[in-house]
This record gives sequence, C-alpha cells and structure tokens, in this order.
Amino acid sequence: MTIEAINEQLLRAIGVGVALLDRSNFGFYFHNDTFEEWFGTQVGTNTLTDLFEALDVKALGDGLDQNGRYTAEIRHKKKRRTMVIAFDFTAASEGDQELVVLVCQNITRIRELESMIDSYSMMVERNTREIKREKEQVEKLLLNIMPRSVYEEFKAFGVVTPQLYDPISVLMLDFVGFTDMVASADPSVTVTELNDIYSAFDRIGEQFGCERIKTIGDAYITVAGLPDPMPDHAKAVANAAIRFIRYLERRNTSHPHQWRCRIGLASGAVVGSVVGIQKYVYDIFGPAVNLATRLQEFSDPMQISVHDDVAKNLRDEFEVTSLGERDIRGFSKQQVWQLHDSKRTIASSQPISSNAAPDA
Amino acid sequence: MAQQTLFEKYGGFSKISKIVLAFYDTLLDSDEIGPFFDDIDMTKMVDHQTKFMASLLGGPASYTDRQLQQMHNHLDIHDSHFDELKGVLEQTLSDHGMDRDDINAVLSEFENRRSQIVG
Repeated sequence: MTIEAINEQLLRAIGVGVALLDRSNFGFYFHNDTFEEWFGTQVGTNTLTDLFEALDVKALGDGLDQNGRYTAEIRHKKKRRTMVIAFDFTAASEGDQELVVLVCQNITRIRELESMIDSYSMMVERNTREIKREKEQVEKLLLNIMPRSVYEEFKAFGVVTPQLYDPISVLMLDFVGFTDMVASADPSVTVTELNDIYSAFDRIGEQFGCERIKTIGDAYITVAGLPDPMPDHAKAVANAAIRFIRYLERRNTSHPHQWRCRIGLASGAVVGSVVGIQKYVYDIFGPAVNLATRLQEFSDPMQISVHDDVAKNLRDEFEVTSLGERDIRGFSKQQVWQLHDSKRTIASSQPISSNAAPDA
Repeated sequence: MAQQTLFEKYGGFSKISKIVLAFYDTLLDSDEIGPFFDDIDMTKMVDHQTKFMASLLGGPASYTDRQLQQMHNHLDIHDSHFDELKGVLEQTLSDHGMDRDDINAVLSEFENRRSQIVG
C-alpha cells in the first residue's frame, strides 16, 4: 500500500468530518465517510449552501477573503437528534484552483452536557434559595427564644455556656385574676388578648432596651442589662413598667375585658443559659428573678413594687414612696418601695430608641 | 439525619448525568417513543430528562401531578408508550449498576404517575 493510499484511508475513517470544496460555488470535490454519515448521502450532488441553509454564506466568503479562515456552529437534525457541529473552513489552492478545506467536529455531546449542567445548576440554585429561606425561618424562631448574641454562640459552637450577668434588672409582671378570667370567658379570646398585650409589652420593652426572657401563662418576665451591659438598667425596667400600666389602663377603657397587673422590680446578678436538649429554652436564674417575683406579689393591682437597690437608682428621676420593711420569703427583711407614674418626671427621660414614645 | 436518596447513593450529579445521557440516547433512538421528541429542541429535551431523572431518584427536582399532566396532556400517549419507556428506564438503570431493589423502587415511583401521563 502506498503512502497516499494509507493517507486517503485515514482521511476517510477518521472521526472528524472532512470535505474539500470549490471556492467559487461551494460544491463538493471530496467528503469523507464521517461527513457522509452525519449529513447524509446527497452530499455529493448538493452544494454546501443547499445542505446548510442556516450558514451565513456572505460571512463565510468575507472570512475566507480577509483571514483565509471562517468558523461556525451548525445545528443539524439527524433523524430526530439535534447534532451540533463546529465547522472550520480554511482557504487553500491547488495550482490555479481555489479550494476550501472544511473540517467538522462533532460537539453535540459537549452542548448536551452544557444543557444538562444548566438544568441541574438551576435546580440546585432554586433549592439553595429555598434552604436559605427555611434557615431564616429557623433563625427567626430561635431569636424569639434567645438573645441574638446567645444565638450566635449557639450557632457557632452548638452549645451555650452559662453566663453571669451582673448587674441587671428584672421586671416580673403577673395578671390579677387571670385564672378566673380563663374560666369565665372564652379561653381562645382570652389567649388572643394576652398575645396582643404581650406583643405590645415586647414593643414597649424594646424601646427601653429590655429583652423579654419568657412568659409563663400570665406571667411576663423582661430584663435590662442582658446580654449587653447597660448602666441604666434599673431606669429601663422602671420606664417599661410605668408604660406597661399606662398601656393597660388605656386598653381597658375600650375593651370589655379588664386586664390588671402587678409588677415587681429587682436588681442583681443572674445566670443566663439555654436549658434542655431537645426542647431549647433560654432562661435566667438568680436571686434577682426570685426577688422580682416576690415583690410582684406585694403589689396592689396596677402597682409597681421596687426593691431597695432599684429604688436607690430611681430616686433622682422617679417618684418612689416607701412601703416599709417587708418579710420576703427566701430573703431577710427588705425595704420595699412603690414606684409611681409621674408624667412630669417621665417626660424628661427619653426612650433609648429613636422611635416615638410607646403607647402612653 | 435525613435518609439518603438514591440520587446521593449512586454518586450524585456526576454519576447520574451519565444515566441521564444514556437514557436520552436510547429514547431518541427508539422508534416507539422517539417520535414524541421529533420537534423538541435539544436544550429543552436534555433539561426535561435531567429533571425527570432527578425527581425519580430523589434529587433536587420534583414535579407536581398537575405539572406532569400539563406537560403531557397535548400528546397522544398510550399505555404501550408508557410501558416502553418504563422498559428503557429499567434497562438504563440496570446498565449503570443500580441494585435490583432500587430499580424496583424507581419503577414503582414511575408507575404511580401513569395516570398523569397517559391521556
């Protein structure tokens, strides 16, 4: 076998489509087996432009004239399958005959894979967005039960180290006759109203930098000075307490259900931590919590009882009167004070938030 | 811990993509089902097969019954076509080394959608 014969056989059998064209009319001089396999048997009788109507003949001519080359990508249906073929034209000459060499690569698989990756990445991106949304929901839920800084620690380490906060102030609020109210009225109405009131308390507390810790039935506990220290923690809970009562007084004028509360304020140290393994609860523990609970019990309806330590910090801005020395369960005899709502003094102490003053 | 899907078990997208392409090739070559895809653009067809396989194997896609109905109700699909495609699916999964139990699970998932596809 001669070298020429081997060359021709190779050219025929190679997995690349090869054709030799007449430059003047793009008629075929030669095409190999692969070319014929892809584009059918009428190749010989037709010209290139007959076969591929989508081919831009003018651009092809310009490309060959200016650069001696031209490339294009052609979509071609073979049976029902879309083939994607990359055409590479090169100008050539044999004697005085102007020729064009056409080399065709089958890039169908590449394009199919690209389509698949597009399709898959779109699915994954959509799922990622959904997961992100769900994560935000979970975060929102967890932020409802613990302060942000505690949540950040929980997220980073999976656990929360109990932390001592000292000093902070605790506000303990309890409703008068709640049990009777639940028994006598429609419980679902009562709970809906309780939810409204707690939401209002949350908003009021927030304006003074208070962090609601929890509610247990009709008891509402909020603190100031946690998780970030606050120099005026006693004033913050005092301001919140006064506005809680104002809010209830105003609400009672327009609602059939009369909500009346008792409030106790105490300062001291607490330890804050997440407790529970499966059911997380963020809670605080310490004498200040117990003291606030006991003081709340001393209050008459719609009154605020204040521990001696708190009262000391309030005297210059708030009106407090002594209730004398009281026996407090679990503690020794303590001076107890009553905090009054004095609009004159309240007006001079601004909420820490830039928002307008809460319902008052 | 969530249960591992077949999509994950058989190597995620990098392996499943090969199953999708094999499935796609066989479908186009089939004279029974192929004609349904005569006028479908390649990109759309590949997209469809990728989602089809992902949804059957528990990957990141799922079609609602309503979507399946909408996609197929303009086509004249008979039980014989559905059976043929089921056969192609079974063969493809088996060619790619999927366990018999898993293949059966996929086929029964597929079978559950017969009423949405056959018009």
